[in-house]
Amino acid sequence: MASYILKRVAGSILILLLIMVVTFFLMNAVPGSPFLTEKSTPEQIANANAKYGLDKPLYIQLWNYIRNYLKGDLGVSLKMQEGTPVKDIIFHQGKFLLSIKLGLYALLLAIIVGIPLGCLAAYFRGSWLDGALRVITTVGVAIPGFVLAALLLIAFSVKLNIFPTKSGNLPDFKSYVLPVVSLSSYYTCYIAKLMRTSMLDAINQDYIRTARAKGVKTGGIILKHALRNSLIPVITYLGPVTAGIITGSFVIESTFSIPGLGKYFVQCVTSRDYPVIMATTVVLSALVIVMMLVVDIVYKIVDPRITLTAKED
Amino acid sequence: MKAPFAKFSPFQVDPDKIMETFGIEDGDFSKASDNEKESMVEMHKSISYWKDAWRRFRSNTVSMVALFVFLVCLFFAFIGPYLIPYNYADQYRTSQKLGPFEYSEDEQTARLAEGVGDGFFATALRPGSITALDPGEYYLKSGRTSYVFTLDTLTENVIIVLDKNSAEPLKLYTEDAVKKGAWDNYTVLPCTNTPSENAVRLTLTKKVFPHVFGTDSSGRDLMARTMYGARVSIIIGVVAALIVLVIGSLYGSISGLAGGPVDFVMMRIVELIYSIPEVLIVLLLQVVLKDPLQAWFQAHSETSAFVRAMSDLGAGIVSIFITFAVLYWVTMARIIRGQVLMLKKQEYVTAATALGASNGRIITKHLLPNCIGPLVITTCLQIPSAIFLESFLSFLGLGVSAPMASLGSLCSDALQTITLYPYRLVFPAIVLTIIVLTLNLVGDGLRDALDPRLKK
Repeated sequence: MASYILKRVAGSILILLLIMVVTFFLMNAVPGSPFLTEKSTPEQIANANAKYGLDKPLYIQLWNYIRNYLKGDLGVSLKMQEGTPVKDIIFHQGKFLLSIKLGLYALLLAIIVGIPLGCLAAYFRGSWLDGALRVITTVGVAIPGFVLAALLLIAFSVKLNIFPTKSGNLPDFKSYVLPVVSLSSYYTCYIAKLMRTSMLDAINQDYIRTARAKGVKTGGIILKHALRNSLIPVITYLGPVTAGIITGSFVIESTFSIPGLGKYFVQCVTSRDYPVIMATTVVLSALVIVMMLVVDIVYKIVDPRITLTAKED
Repeated sequence: MKAPFAKFSPFQVDPDKIMETFGIEDGDFSKASDNEKESMVEMHKSISYWKDAWRRFRSNTVSMVALFVFLVCLFFAFIGPYLIPYNYADQYRTSQKLGPFEYSEDEQTARLAEGVGDGFFATALRPGSITALDPGEYYLKSGRTSYVFTLDTLTENVIIVLDKNSAEPLKLYTEDAVKKGAWDNYTVLPCTNTPSENAVRLTLTKKVFPHVFGTDSSGRDLMARTMYGARVSIIIGVVAALIVLVIGSLYGSISGLAGGPVDFVMMRIVELIYSIPEVLIVLLLQVVLKDPLQAWFQAHSETSAFVRAMSDLGAGIVSIFITFAVLYWVTMARIIRGQVLMLKKQEYVTAATALGASNGRIITKHLLPNCIGPLVITTCLQIPSAIFLESFLSFLGLGVSAPMASLGSLCSDALQTITLYPYRLVFPAIVLTIIVLTLNLVGDGLRDALDPRLKK
């Protein structure tokens, strides 16, 4: 187990490094300079380049990035908030926290709602409840998050005036509801579908019949025997869910005017603020990669049958 | 004279011996009658793979309905634009910001005149709408012909109807009269054919087609744009899925067939791409590729038809394709590799190898055709995910650029005016959802039909 975790952590660091390299070259493949505006003279651009070390050869710039990141220095912003350390922008201005909160609540909602719904559908399979849930989840995975966000916005903010149209810094519970619901809807539905299938699989296994024969109550069977075994596909799906929720937050944040990291990332990509692009990519990727790592380890804990080395294939 | 049976091997049964043992004479053999022949005809025609799959698919009501609805969407996206008189890019200055089934003033007038008959055109003179309408002489210009008529006072809305074919009758109706169909209450105005600089220009309108989805702030018909957007989205989805199909299936089958260290390295690459949060890279790629692509289009569009087609699509869409080619083929590659690992142990592959078939031939002639089920299913399910990605990018302002439209960019445009014109979002959103939904359902149906083992 320990050696597996070590191996995976090393692999994750390697992937993160690779992402840094790829991001670096992609950023620098954009023609022109981040300092190029209508007014700027070639000298000004050259000065700015020299100031931020952009005049050095690419491999030295890349090495500087990696060295500074290892020291925990994320550089300073070139454009969006010139001169401000990127670390401050991401962590101290609340952007990271906002996105994390939003994503975490969405993830929790997807799990808390999706899993029971899937269990219910499986348990009452063939009934009207199953049918209704199937329709809802099938439609749910076909609606893009931003479309749902906008529709909810029309219905609950514009027409009914229950929730605010702009969630801003998420000051109260009300401002959370719409962003979190629209961010998690796709994943809630997907998890419910996944859960239903795997629960049905589990219910038809022999050990369930054995438990029933022993006289375990239905609730106990579902919770103790079937649920634990049917959770595995859902857990494997949580890695991609994290990535998806982070992605989804880009549009949700701009729909609800939340000044989070996702919205900021899109802005700094278009304005070519190199250090901020790099830092945001690394932070968000690290989040996804750590989540995938955690998922793989939880996977092992939930189902001891899985041998981690065999998973390589 | 009995013809001797050729003997090929010592193990071959000797027919003569058999006939002798069972006491059968040559004369016992006779030609089969037609009746007897018929009884030998197979009772059922053998069902081909596709026929069988189609039979299974057909019995799946949900998938059939989804397929039908998807075909309707295809009709809407590809035939629809030819059936309505509006174009996705044309801006109708007088018809801005209309709701569904609303008409601009001009169009209302034209609608009133619709009952007038073919070949007639109409325009309205409303009190207040044209300030210059003091009593006096007026000129009306219609094409090359100009008319002049006198008006005493304009107290009511007036419909002027011109006969296209003859210059003569110029009829003036009150709007009321037109509504009631009381065509007799017209005044024939005196008119001449003198062209004049001061002629009032008549807007000639054909039969008015309603703006079913309304119009946007620049006066573009939203139904035309939605149709066009749906077409763009579907094309993007299909092309992206085909790119994934080609790259993923080749990569997967090479990796699976090669095995050993090659497979190991190739699969590590797949895992690596798999664990990259792709949308971050996609966003970067979109920005990175935009300018170089445009430069490339400009440099080569003269010489190459392919580049010209690409540049018609625009840099945004082409970079979506490139993104798919770089990042999104990994799922397909994994699935096909799994299949190939299973298939390559089959006897026919061994036989082909023994006969000296090259690896390329084995992949294209033996392995991939036998993976047809997973190939079709994964490709079909790839289309909605590509549409999702495209709409996501367009929503962030990175996909297609105006006046081109995709369902995502339409939604994104609509969001800016959502409080005033919510219907602008609703229509493209519904079309987008229906397309993705039906493709998902068709994909599920295909999975059940093509690969019954997977059915749970």
